[in-house]
Amino acid sequence: MGILGFSKLLADVAPHAIKEMELKHYFGRKVAIDASMCLYQFLIAVRNDSGQLATADGETTSHLLGTFYRTIRLLENGIKPVYVFDGKPPDLKAGELTKRAAKREEAQKALDKATEAGDASDMDKFSRRLVKVTKHHAEECKQLLTLMGVPYIDAPCEAEAQCAAMVKAGKVFATATEDMDALTFGSNVLLRHLTFSEARKMPIQEIHLDKVLEGFNFTQKEFIDLCILLGCDYTDSIRGIGPKRAFELMKKHKSIDDILKNIDKEKYVPPADWNIDVVRNLFIEPVIADPETIDLKWGEPDEEGMVKYLCGEKQFNEERVRNGVKKLMKARSGTTQGRLDGFFKVLSSTPAKRKPEDSKKNTPNKRGKVGAGKGRGRPK
Amino acid sequence: MFEARLINSAHFKKVLDAIKDLLKEASFDCSESGIQLQAMDDAHVSLVFLTLRSDGFDKYRCDRNLTMGMNIENLSKIFKCSSNDDTVTMKAQDDADTVTFTFESKKQKISDYEMKLMNLDQEHLGIPETDFSCVIRMPSAEFARICRDLSQFGESIVISCTKEGVKFSTSGDIGSANIKLAQNNNFDKEEESVTIEMQEPVTLTFACRYLNFFTKATPLAQQVQLSMSDNVPLVVEYQIPDLGQICYYLAPKIEEDEN
Repeated sequence: MGILGFSKLLADVAPHAIKEMELKHYFGRKVAIDASMCLYQFLIAVRNDSGQLATADGETTSHLLGTFYRTIRLLENGIKPVYVFDGKPPDLKAGELTKRAAKREEAQKALDKATEAGDASDMDKFSRRLVKVTKHHAEECKQLLTLMGVPYIDAPCEAEAQCAAMVKAGKVFATATEDMDALTFGSNVLLRHLTFSEARKMPIQEIHLDKVLEGFNFTQKEFIDLCILLGCDYTDSIRGIGPKRAFELMKKHKSIDDILKNIDKEKYVPPADWNIDVVRNLFIEPVIADPETIDLKWGEPDEEGMVKYLCGEKQFNEERVRNGVKKLMKARSGTTQGRLDGFFKVLSSTPAKRKPEDSKKNTPNKRGKVGAGKGRGRPK
Repeated sequence: MFEARLINSAHFKKVLDAIKDLLKEASFDCSESGIQLQAMDDAHVSLVFLTLRSDGFDKYRCDRNLTMGMNIENLSKIFKCSSNDDTVTMKAQDDADTVTFTFESKKQKISDYEMKLMNLDQEHLGIPETDFSCVIRMPSAEFARICRDLSQFGESIVISCTKEGVKFSTSGDIGSANIKLAQNNNFDKEEESVTIEMQEPVTLTFACRYLNFFTKATPLAQQVQLSMSDNVPLVVEYQIPDLGQICYYLAPKIEEDEN
């Protein structure tokens, strides 16, 4: 998952890069959603007392329920979502994936122990840690999305990279994920909390890359180096350098190569055979499908198909599904409100002048909010 | 140093009423020529452009250009404390953090209110000069009435302007409603005229909610001017006698399915 400690650093250094907006203000926007991230959210969050929702045969349905209702919620608000699924992970991610597998094994052991001891809260805790989004989950969601008339894309490699490319090409307005990696891949706008449940009343965080770079006073290249230093999925980082220190070092030396020349390598040991250039390249030129060849179409929902699939195969309540479809139909009919920024050009934007004092006041507050969202991502 | 004085605080109260439903906070840009405010609502659907000319004030002084970010709700609260015939004086130092409002009543009562200014991110939008296909002038109260009446039936109003006149229509769950106004030049009472300048007919759809926010400016002017062209925002304009003007821009609703 994402970059360690980044959101906190961002709230400290460039608070004005983060805007908090309400969901309803995104009407008319096309948004690329990192599907693996949100399926994971659903598998974790959509639960009842006995764990994940499932059919009588024990087949999980949490992800379908989540996809169904939260997609409807987006469409009802006039947002046009397109889901982007992960493809083959890059070779460099192998290390990270092995680590995740090991953690999962540990959690399995702990779960077995807790089950033996009959500790319900521990059982719940560890079973959540075991959650994994499988190909099967993804396939089922794709099938559901097709029935709902919502487009999806299979990224050749990392979904965030594909989302970022689509934002850059102007195909969509923003990438929706919890993962800050999307910024490293160059997504101009990142939306967090978009697929959260309505009940949590979390405002959407809108993060603008240009403002992040402006706040940090970094170029995109320097920013990528900073993210590598903070720790990303593709390589280990230098032990003993936390977010704050990483930021200071980057400010001073402007690149990892220069930092390595200047720090005490006895104290801070860089990983053996650290191949930064390959990792950098992964961010700068990731494997993606050309966004220009992607045709996004939001089609008619197939009511009977959905009822057949969700109620027949997955044992959903038919009345609820039909109600959901009604909402979908309603969202499709009628006109959409246009936006003014499509008509007028922004001439100049003046960020608030006396910001420094202001931001100091705001930071503890913001930090609290960011902290609250922690631990919702994919497992490390 | 900035100082502006109005004999009747009622004028300013009405201006505030005309913007407070749309904007929670906004920056007032003060310069030698007067006070301007340009801001979009949170959803970026509408834009308010307010101009108060310096010669409309009884006393006006602005040594250096200055931008004052204010919370509109709090500003309204302060003006609620004044009587309509109070004289109001706004004052701020250069680079000040606060602005003061002084209300002087006819009965020798002087009240001072100081308000903290805010730092707001600002986006100035370039509004292109447009030759509109249709320009409609009509009594402002009539327009307010039409918007209010039609909003009972549906969420959006279709405004279609032809040579014969202008038609406002809507439809919803309970049925539909149509209001037609014909051109009508009333030379004795100009403020009651309905005039249409048309190059080509236009039909556009707008959200009632926003139109109803705009008509809060009705007490400021007797006539309202609606300017429309295909695929550009509607302009709703109120001329405030002797003081300036307030223009609202509203993005039209667009048909679905051009993905």
